[in-house]
Amino acid sequence: MMEFVLFLGLFFALGGLAVASNPSPYYGVVGLVVAAIAGGGWLVSLGVSFVSLMLVMVYLGGMLVVFVYSVSLAADPYPETWTDWGVVGYGFGMGLVVMVGLVVSGVFGLLTDVGTVNGAGLLSVRVDFSGAAVLYSEGAGFLLIGGWGLLLTLFVVLE
Amino acid sequence: MSHLHLSFYSAFILSSLGLAFHRTHLISALLCLESMMLSMYVALAMWPIQMQSPSSTIIPIIMLTFSACEAGTGLALLVASTRTHGSDYLHNFNLLRC
Repeated sequence: MMEFVLFLGLFFALGGLAVASNPSPYYGVVGLVVAAIAGGGWLVSLGVSFVSLMLVMVYLGGMLVVFVYSVSLAADPYPETWTDWGVVGYGFGMGLVVMVGLVVSGVFGLLTDVGTVNGAGLLSVRVDFSGAAVLYSEGAGFLLIGGWGLLLTLFVVLE
Repeated sequence: MSHLHLSFYSAFILSSLGLAFHRTHLISALLCLESMMLSMYVALAMWPIQMQSPSSTIIPIIMLTFSACEAGTGLALLVASTRTHGSDYLHNFNLLRC
């Protein structure tokens, strides 16, 4: 079970690498989808399922769908996949830089474990559900400012 | 540092490198920006877990809202570029070149 969580973390970083090596945008979106699903599964494994559900619905189901049909504006006649030499060079170079940086800074000797959150006892309250409820009670200012920002963005996009 | 922190830290660094070394398309730079926002969301969502403070849950939600605004603005720029130049190639943005 522990290995599954480690694999999710690995797929998150590999999805980031797949986007960063800048293939043709059709394949970059695939990397972003893999990273979003791995991140969502990871948050579920830590216990905060509300935040994970928000990620999947808003990010994956909202923003990435819009990105996918905007990618049609960027059509290449010969799309570059991850097996073309330019993309492989970029991906390998970036991966190498990050790995060298991690090894030199000595991070791999300092790795610890992380705990989960679920509440305890019979009258337990989940952390993320009660936290999101704060958004509607004491955090109403955040809600209003966020709504105002979204309205302004609508005018920016329409212009 | 736990392996979770390591994972989204390296994803953020890789995405920012991908944004810096962009190649031909504007939309692939926007995808790298989205990947940076994703890793920041997961990082901020770790805060209520590790500090056991429920009120910090609204921070990743608000950040996701504004990241959606930014993605919409970036896509509007992409559409504007396609309308004027016919494609979203980055070498078309050469008005400020000396």
